[in-house]
Order: sequence, then structure tokens, then C-alpha cells
Amino acid sequence: MSIELRRARSRQMVIFFLGCGGMIILLGRLYYWQVWQSGSLSRLANSEHIQNQILNAPRGLIYDAQGHLLATNVVRDDVYITPLQFASDFTDNYPTELSTEVHALHQVLPSVSEDQLRNDFGFSLQAVRVAEQIDPGQSQRLRNLHLPDTFLEPQTWRTYPNGNLASQILGYVQDGKGIYGIEAKYNTLLAGKAGSFTAETDLNGNPLTVGASSEQDAVKGLDLTLTIDSFIQYFVQTSLQDAIQQLDAQSGTVIVLNARTGAIVAMAGYPTFDPNHYGDFADQKGCVGSEDVYLNPALFCDYEPGSTMKAFTMAAALDQHVITPDTSINDPGYLNFSDGTPTVHNWNDESYGKETMTQVLQHSANVGAATVATWLGPDRFYPYVDRFGFGQPIGLFQPEDQGGYRTNTSVGWSESDLTRQAFGQSITASPLQVARAYQAIANGGVMMQPYILASINDNGHAGPYYQYSTQPQMLRRVISTETSETLTGMLISTAEYNHITLPGYSMAIKTGTATTQGLSMDQTEASVAGFLPASNPQFVILVKLDRPQKTIYGGTAAGPLWRTIAQQLVVHYSIPPDQQQ
Amino acid sequence: MYGSKAWTAAVSPKGVASPKARSEASLLAQRRRHMHPSFLRMGPAALCITCLLLVGFMAVLYLSQVGQVVAANHQLQDIRNEQAALERQNQDLVDTLTREQSPASIAEQAQKMGLGPIDPKNLWVVQVSHLQEMGQGDGPTVPPLGVQP
Repeated sequence: MSIELRRARSRQMVIFFLGCGGMIILLGRLYYWQVWQSGSLSRLANSEHIQNQILNAPRGLIYDAQGHLLATNVVRDDVYITPLQFASDFTDNYPTELSTEVHALHQVLPSVSEDQLRNDFGFSLQAVRVAEQIDPGQSQRLRNLHLPDTFLEPQTWRTYPNGNLASQILGYVQDGKGIYGIEAKYNTLLAGKAGSFTAETDLNGNPLTVGASSEQDAVKGLDLTLTIDSFIQYFVQTSLQDAIQQLDAQSGTVIVLNARTGAIVAMAGYPTFDPNHYGDFADQKGCVGSEDVYLNPALFCDYEPGSTMKAFTMAAALDQHVITPDTSINDPGYLNFSDGTPTVHNWNDESYGKETMTQVLQHSANVGAATVATWLGPDRFYPYVDRFGFGQPIGLFQPEDQGGYRTNTSVGWSESDLTRQAFGQSITASPLQVARAYQAIANGGVMMQPYILASINDNGHAGPYYQYSTQPQMLRRVISTETSETLTGMLISTAEYNHITLPGYSMAIKTGTATTQGLSMDQTEASVAGFLPASNPQFVILVKLDRPQKTIYGGTAAGPLWRTIAQQLVVHYSIPPDQQQ
Repeated sequence: MYGSKAWTAAVSPKGVASPKARSEASLLAQRRRHMHPSFLRMGPAALCITCLLLVGFMAVLYLSQVGQVVAANHQLQDIRNEQAALERQNQDLVDTLTREQSPASIAEQAQKMGLGPIDPKNLWVVQVSHLQEMGQGDGPTVPPLGVQP
């Protein structure tokens, strides 16, 4: 073989091996991209043309007892700009185009200043939100303008068309989650179940039916119907607000219960808030200036019930045949105890002399109530306090303050606790607990569980809540029917004595004026609790005003509001009179 | 063409085929037809053209189908957009209606019309004795309007 031929073969071999090496490198690279990096590259490629979308479930609606909407959903647009895209689109005449764009945006969104918009366009970001939840008119104007590098992003918002009506019952929704009240308690039912949608998309991002796609429908949240009557709720709220402003009070609570079923017809607190703009009320305080305004004071604002408690002391004594309405005592205006228990005085330090038990209620005599409590003793008094539900949570929704009191088994209990608890001191309760206890008296001695959820509409799904409606639930018998009737008669006399009457209607009420330890005696919590018509009770009403300044007593401060609400109830529900006018 | 040649071969010199020869010839032709279907009897160029035409036809059919599906997809997308817009509009209308029907709005409108809350002192309830609810009890029922009892 000649040298030249050998050289040629060597060159061929070199070229061959170089070719083989190149092929191996290429194959290795191919393996790297096609096998090693396959997963991540496939994901990247798919993300370009496959759309994975979460389908938000519409939140369930909330209705009142008459079918009026209390909470619904609306879609509102957020406005976004794309500063980086805008800068690259208008590199030549950026300042001019920016001025035009900013001016046009400001014309539609006057709440956003031009300086703010310029500042937003200065960010090195893909997208910046310049306004949220704009109204439909503004959305339409922006669509018509076809502004470059500006887009609208629709968002679903919870809205409360009645403003602050029943806001402390409803709560509000933040980031799709219910906060406080009904929205929080029934969040799982209201929220529904989100769905998903996966499909290939075209160049504009529209999903294509050609190719693989999968869709799981979102399940709408369940609709709830409450026992609240919007009309009465509105009347109660506005009347409470007027009364608080007139009396220069700090706060207040009103509860209206169905006397037979325990259904809550109205439950209002003041100050209150607008759930559509809940953020504006973050600094405001509700119940006697101590708690957030979002909390429902009927459940959370516990207080010493004061003389409204005397009705339960009398109920315990009547039920155990310790007294009758005509049992009399001698009331010198004070009551001393031989064992060192502090002396009990009447609220006005007045001496009533010989007075019957009915007169004890009429006079709201502390001495009389304390005397009855000493006759009963702790073993016969506390079981009734317990049966009337004091110190026990109601469980309507959270948060709830269940109050409390010391009994003869508690550490540090003394005879003084017993005598003071008989007229509503040394014991705390939420307004709803007091209203529930009066409901038991009104309902022939049978206590019902207060409830606010009337029914659940599961939108045709035969799920666990199919045609669900709350049935009134009896908790227990607290006192006998006879005791209830006798006590009702005594409370009717009390109403007449206090001139809290309504022509044609008998009303059973008890006033209460509670002071707080550590505060001056004129800083009271004035309340009235009772029911009407007394012969056939339909509604239980509790009115409580915190720290009224113009007049500080239950009868004079809360009494007129109680009567106004009672008047409205008999007219609204066409309740026939039970007395000759 | 192959068939006619085979037929020619099977005929007698006088041009008239005997029955036996005719049956053999037809059997042969039948066998050939079984072994060589007509499209295989095409030349390669004709076969290619036919295949191309078939593929083209199938492609046209497929593209036509895809086009229809894409058009339907656009239509579906439009309908979905329209549905979303209508739902949004419906929600807005329900919201507006509820706001207008809210007790606060009604009270405001009533106030504008000069109406005010009733004073409880001016309210009198007229009691009519011997009145019973319609359809309940044993007493006489209220006759329909316009009918004299």
C-alpha cells in the first residue's frame, strides 16, 4: 500500500471518528433534551398552550324570612396597567403617550390621581393594579376607550344591598372567607366547591374544544334563609340609633324573639358597621367602647342584668311555693345580715314598708329580692339560675360570651353573692341569655333554643341539606305553667306601674338598671325585658342601653324604646288586642 | 383488457367457443380477478395519483371538520362570554333591585313623599265582636265580595 493511500485512509478514519464523535455528542445532547429534560420542557411547552383554570364557586345567597336578599354577589372589575409593555410599545414618544394614557385613565377613575398613575407607570413590573372594584359605568367607559396596555380583571365581590342592616348578624367576607356572624359560621355551606377547567388554548388564550380538555363544574354555595324580618330589623336598628343619640348613650342592643319558637326576629346593636366597607370601621368600637364593632353585642357584650333578674328570683320562689304574689315583707329600705354580709339597699334608698311580692317587682326593690333569695337559700336558688340558662352558651355563632356567676360550690362564694345575684349583681349574662330566659317565662315555662337559620336551599342537589329547615327545639321546662302564668300577672302589674303600656295590649315587663363596679353610679346599663301580648305572648323584646346620660334608669331610658318596638310589632304582624281600650 | 385476451385464447378457430372452453376461460378470469384486484392493475403513476388524490380528499375532509369544530368553538366561546355578561348583568340588576327595595331606601322615598312613621298615640284598634276567621270554626263564613248575605 502506498504512503499516499495510507494517508488517505488515515484521513478517512480521522474524519470517520470525528463524525462518530459528533454523532455521539449530538445523540447525548438529544438524550439530554428529549429524555433527561423531557418532563420540565413538556410542562413549559404545555403551559404555553394549555390553560388550567380554577372555576370559583358562586357564594350562596342569604335571605331574610320574607325572601328579601341580605347578601349577594356582584362582579366588579379591577383595573391593571402593564408598565413594561407600555414602555416597550412607545419607546419613541413615551412622554406624550404616557400623558395621554394617564389623562384618559384619570378621566374615568377620578379617585386615582394623575401623579399616582404616573408613579404606577414608572414601576418595572409586568402588571400594576391601579384601581379595584370600579363600578359598571366606569368599566364600560374604559372598554370603549380601548386604552393600550390597560386591561380589566373581573372579580366577584360579596355585597350587602341593605348596607348596615343586620351587619352584626351577617358578618362579612374577606378573601372569600366569611368573617364573623352567619358568613363565618356557615362559611363551608356558603362557599360551595371550586371547579377546574383544563384545555388547549388558541393564540388569544381562548380554550379550544379540539384536543384534550377536562372540566369539573364548580358547585354553587348553598343559599340560607334567616328568621330575621328585614322590616323589623330596620325599624329596631334605626330606633335604637335614635334612642342612643337622644339619650347620649354609648352603645345599645335590642333583641326581638318569637316567644313560641325562639326564632330571632331582630337583633341589633349600635354602633354598627357597613359590611360593604368593613375596612373603614376597623378602628371603631362597639359594645361599651370595649370591643370591635364587628362583634354582635347581643352575644358578646355581657353585663350585669340588674333588676331584670328579679323576675327569675321570683320565678324560683313561686315555682317552689316559697311565696305567692301576695306574700308580704317589711321593707325598711335596707337589709342587714348577722353574718357580716354587706347591707343591701334599695336602688333609691326608699323604704316601702309592708309590700307584697308583686309590689317588690313594681318597686324593683332590692331588699325584697334579696329577702326572697335568703328564703330560698343557695340550694334552691342556683338550680333555677342554671335552668334559666345563665352561664351557658347559646351557640348561635362565635364569638360568644356566656357570662357567669359564683355558686355556693365556687371558691370565694359568700352569702353576699346570693343576695346580690337575686337582683342582678354579681352575675353576668349576654343580652340574648336574658332574652332567652324571658322567652321561657312567656312560653309557659318552656325554654326554646334561640335560632336564626330558618332553612337551607341546596339548589336542587339532593345532598345532606336537601329541603333542610330548622325545627323549633325545646331545651327544657324551666318552671311550671302555673308559675309562668302567676309571674306573668306580676310582670303585667310591673308594666302598668312603670307606665310602659300600649292601649289594648297587656304587656309583661321588668326594668333593670345595672351599675358597674369601679364606675360612678350614674354610669348605668339601662334595660327592659318582657313580652307581649301577655295573655298570648307572641314576641319577647329586650332593650339595653349602655351608659345613657340624659336619664339613667331602665324604665325611663329603655322603656320608651321598648314600647315603640312593641307598637311596631303589633301593627306589622296585625296582632289583635287582648284588652279593652 | 386481460380478460378479453383470455377470452380470445379460449375461443375456437371458427370464432365460436365450445361450452367447455367457455367455462374454463371464465373460471380463469375469475381466478385472475381474485388474485389481482382492479386497483392493482393500475400502473404505478396512476396509483400514486390516486393515492395522492385520496390523501388530499381525506385532508380536505379533516380540515373541513377541524374548521367546523374551530368555528363551533369560537361560537361556544362567544356564547360563554355572553352568558357571563348576562349573569353579571343579572347580578347587577338583582343588586340594584334589592337596594331599591331595602327598608332604608323605602323609608327615604316615603320621607320624600311627605310620609312619616306613625305616632303610636294616634293609633286605635277597632275591635269587631263575633268575627271569625274565614274557613275556620263553625260560624258563618264571610260571603264573597258583591254577594249580599
